[in-house]
Amino acid sequence: MSLHSQNLLQTQASSFPRSLSILDPNQPHSFVKPVKRINEGHDVPAFLTSQAYRDIGIFVMQLNISMCPRKVSSSSPSTRTQTWALDTPIKQSEPVHKLQELLQSIDAIIEETPPDTGPRRFGNVSFRKWYDTLESRVQQLLEKYLPNEVLNFRTGDGVGVLDELTPYLMGGFGSAQRLDYGTGHELSFLAFLGCIWKLGGFTKESSSDGSLERSIVIGVVEPYLRVIRRLILTYTLEPAGSHGVWGLDDHSFIPYILGSSQNCPAISDDESMPVEGSLPGAPNPEDIAKMKVVDKERKRNMYFSAVGFINDVKTGPFWEHSPILFDISGIRSGWGKINKGMIKMYNAEVLSKFPVVQHFPFGSLFNWEHDPNASPATHSVHTANHPASQTTTSNASAIRYPPQEGTKAPWAQATGASMAPTVATWANQPPGRSLAPTSAPWVNPASGAPQTALPPTRAPWASQSTPGTGQLPIRQASPDVPTRAPRGDQGSSGRR
Amino acid sequence: MSDLDRAIAQLRACRPIPEAQVRELCHKARELLIEEGNVVTVTAPVTICGDIHGQFHDLMELFRVGGDVPDTNYLFMGDFVDRGFYSLESFLLLLCLKVRYPDRMTLIRGNHESRQITTVYGFYDECLRKYGSANVWRYCCEVFDYLALGAIVLGASSTLEPSKKSSTEPNSLNSTQEYIDSDIEIEVLGNDDNVISRFPRKKPNSGALSKGNSSSPAPAKTGPPGSGASGYSGGTTGNSSGAVLCVHGGLSPLVDTVDKIRLLDRKQEVPHEGAMCDLLWSDPDEIDGWGLSPRGAGFLFGADIVKVFNHANDLSMIARAHQLVMEGFKEMFDNSIVTVWSAPNYCYRCGNVAAILELGEDGSGDGIISRSNGDVGRSDGGIMKEKERVLQRGPARRYRVFQAAPQDSRGMPAAGKKPVADYFL
Repeated sequence: MSLHSQNLLQTQASSFPRSLSILDPNQPHSFVKPVKRINEGHDVPAFLTSQAYRDIGIFVMQLNISMCPRKVSSSSPSTRTQTWALDTPIKQSEPVHKLQELLQSIDAIIEETPPDTGPRRFGNVSFRKWYDTLESRVQQLLEKYLPNEVLNFRTGDGVGVLDELTPYLMGGFGSAQRLDYGTGHELSFLAFLGCIWKLGGFTKESSSDGSLERSIVIGVVEPYLRVIRRLILTYTLEPAGSHGVWGLDDHSFIPYILGSSQNCPAISDDESMPVEGSLPGAPNPEDIAKMKVVDKERKRNMYFSAVGFINDVKTGPFWEHSPILFDISGIRSGWGKINKGMIKMYNAEVLSKFPVVQHFPFGSLFNWEHDPNASPATHSVHTANHPASQTTTSNASAIRYPPQEGTKAPWAQATGASMAPTVATWANQPPGRSLAPTSAPWVNPASGAPQTALPPTRAPWASQSTPGTGQLPIRQASPDVPTRAPRGDQGSSGRR
Repeated sequence: MSDLDRAIAQLRACRPIPEAQVRELCHKARELLIEEGNVVTVTAPVTICGDIHGQFHDLMELFRVGGDVPDTNYLFMGDFVDRGFYSLESFLLLLCLKVRYPDRMTLIRGNHESRQITTVYGFYDECLRKYGSANVWRYCCEVFDYLALGAIVLGASSTLEPSKKSSTEPNSLNSTQEYIDSDIEIEVLGNDDNVISRFPRKKPNSGALSKGNSSSPAPAKTGPPGSGASGYSGGTTGNSSGAVLCVHGGLSPLVDTVDKIRLLDRKQEVPHEGAMCDLLWSDPDEIDGWGLSPRGAGFLFGADIVKVFNHANDLSMIARAHQLVMEGFKEMFDNSIVTVWSAPNYCYRCGNVAAILELGEDGSGDGIISRSNGDVGRSDGGIMKEKERVLQRGPARRYRVFQAAPQDSRGMPAAGKKPVADYFL
C-alpha cells in the first residue's frame, strides 16, 4: 500500500510531472478498444505499477492542486489569496462548455425515463432504460460535444478515437445490470476526462497556474456529480462496494479530495500541496456535522456538497450513519491534513481495491503496460487489503487499515510509535500483544471480490456479475435461460 | 446478578462488553451451538425475525414490538452483522440472550455471518475500530461457524389468538372465538397493535382435496402489504402440515429434503458453492425452476421448486429473510414462501418498514403432530387423516410491522473521541 501511495503522492514532487502529458497531434496514434485486464486479485499489483495507474495518479493530483487556493503576489506588502468556490463564475473554455452541454443532454434522459412505479425491491429497473437510451445516443452525443482536436486526432489504423473513449464515458454512469453506482464508475469518468486531456482536447500545452484544470473541476466534474446524484435519487441506485456505515461515502470519493483542497492554505503556483493547515476563514472540518453550515457551504465547496447529499438521502444521526466522515471532522491539523489523508485513502481504498478497479478497462491512453519508473511491488497489495495479513494494530486510533510491512513511504508515519493510543475504555488490552497473523483461507479467493451493493449482498468471490464460470455444472447455462437443476424425476426415491 | 445478566444489561444499553468477556461468551455459545443440529426444531409459539444488520436501536424496537426475551420465543434468521453501526452490540446481545435463554432464542446463520463477507461489508472494520484489534471479530466468526443452518417450526396454530392490545379496539375482533369464526389466516398489525389488514382463510372447495380451485372467485384484493403485485393471499391451499422451514436465503438444487440439510457438515466458513452456500444465498424469483443468481452465489428458484419441496417435506411454508422488502414482509407463490425483513429504514436511507412474523401455539391439543421432517413416506396410514386436516390448515400468521426507532433513543459518542483512520495521522 505504502509504495504505491508513495508514487501517487510523489506526483506532487518536482521529479514527477505535474500534469498529464499531451500527445503530439502530428503523430498518428493507434487507438485501442479498452479491454478488461484485472481479472483477479493478483492482477491488482500489476495495475499499481502500470502506466495507467501512474496517469490516473497524475491527473487526480493535477486536478487536486488546481483547486487549492493561490497566493496572489502583488507589489502590495500583504499577499492576497484567491479561492475557487463552486459558485464563483469561471472562465470556461469551449471544450469545457461543450462537455457541460454533453452532461446536460445526459441529464435530460432522466426526464424521458421516469422511474418505474411497479413493485420493486430497491434499485429501479427504469435505470436500465435510461442506460440503454444513453448507450444508443452516446456516439452521436460525443461527435457533437467532443472537441475537434479529439475527434479528428490522427489515427494509425482502424480503431477510432471514440472506440477507445466511449467505454470510459459509459462506465461513468453506474451499472445497468446491478443498478448500482460507486467509486469505480467515478474513476471511469475521470479517465474519460483524462483521455480528452491527453489528446489535447482541453489544451495543447500545459500551463502551471491550474486555471484550466479548475475549469474542468468546476465546469465538468461537479456538474457530473450533480447528474450522478440525480440518477441515484431517481433510480435509487445502490452503493457499489459498500462497507456500510464503515465506508467513507456510499457512492463518491473524488469530491472529498477536491473539496478539501479548496479549503487548504494558499500556495504559490510553484509550490506543492500543503499537508496541513487551513485557509483562514474556511469552515472548520467539524462543521460538516452541522446541518446549517453544510447547507450554506455545499453551494461553494465540493466536500460539503457531498456531505449535503448524504444529509439529503439519509436519516439518523450523522456520526452514526457516516462515522468515518465524522471522525475525520475531528482532525485538528486542518484541511491540508485531510486532503493528504484523502489522497492516501483514495489510493488504498479505491485504486488498490480489486472490487473497485476490476471493471476498469485499458487501452492506449490508459495503458496496462508496466511503468518503467514504478517502484517494484514488494508486497501484495491485494492481500494487504484483506484483514488477514496483519490484523495487529498496536494503536486503537489506527483503525481499519493496518500498516504494511515492507518499505515505508516517508510520509506514512509509523503507527503506534509516539501517539498515545486512544483505546476504547472497554477494550482490555493485554500488554505487548503480538498477534500471529490470522490464518485466513479466504484471503485469496480465486477471483477476488464483487461490486457489492446495498440491498442484495453479492458474493465477493464472484468476479463478474455475469455468472457462468462454471463452478457447478448448472452455472454454465446462459444467464438468460433459467437452468434446471439436476433433480431427476420428482418424487422418485433413492436419489442422491 | 450473574456476569451474564450484567453483560446483557450492558449490551442492552448499547455498550460493548470487554474483550475477555466476549471471548468467554463466544466460548459458551459455541458449546451450546455445537449441540444443535443443522436444522433446529422449534415449537410454536415463536416470533420469526429477518435481517438486523447492526441496527441496534431498531432491534430494541423489535423487542418492544414483539415482546421481551424470555417472554417471547424468538427465531432470528441471520444477518445480524454488517452495514450498520452496531453489529457488535446487536450480535453480542443476541448471543448473550441465546446463552442465557437457550430454549427461547434460536439463531440461524445468514450469509453475512462469514469471515469473508464481514471483511467486505463492515463488521470487521467495526470490531477493529471498537476494540483496536481483530480479536473480537475472530471470536465472533468462530461462533458463526457453529450457527444452525435452518429451523423447523412445529405446532403452529391455524387460528390466531387475539393480540394483547387489539381487544380494546371497538371494531376489532376481540376473542379467540371470533378469530376462529371469521377464520383469519393473516393479520397485519402496525403501531400499538392497530390492525392494518386481515385476510380470511380461503375456503376449501367441497372436495377438500381438489387443488384446482377453479370455482373460487379471484380475491378482490391481491394481498396484504408486502405481498406485492405478484403476491397472492387468498389463503393457503395445498400441502400443509403446519410446519414451517426457516432458512436465511432459500433452497438449493442439491437439497431436496430437509434431511439432506441435516447431513451437511456445517462447522466451517460458508463455502462459495454447494448446499450450505445456497441455503444462505438463494432467492425466490418469478421464474420456472432454477436460475443463476445475480449475487454470484446461491440460485434463484421459482414457485414450482418451492411447491415441490414443501410437498415433499410436509411443509406448509418456508420463511426466509435475505432480501429487503419495502413493506417488511412479502408472501409469494400462493403463500408457500415468505420473506421477512426486520431492519427498518435499512442503511439509514431505504425508507422501508420492518416486520416480524408471529406463529401462535396450537391450543387444540393435536397441534403438535408427529411428523417426519422431510422423510416422505415414512408416515403410516394415519397421515391421511392428518393431511386432510392440514390441507385446510396452514399456520395463521400475524405480522407486526414497525418503523425505525426514534433518533432520540440513541446516545452520542463521547465528545472529542474521534479515532481517525491511519491515512489521516
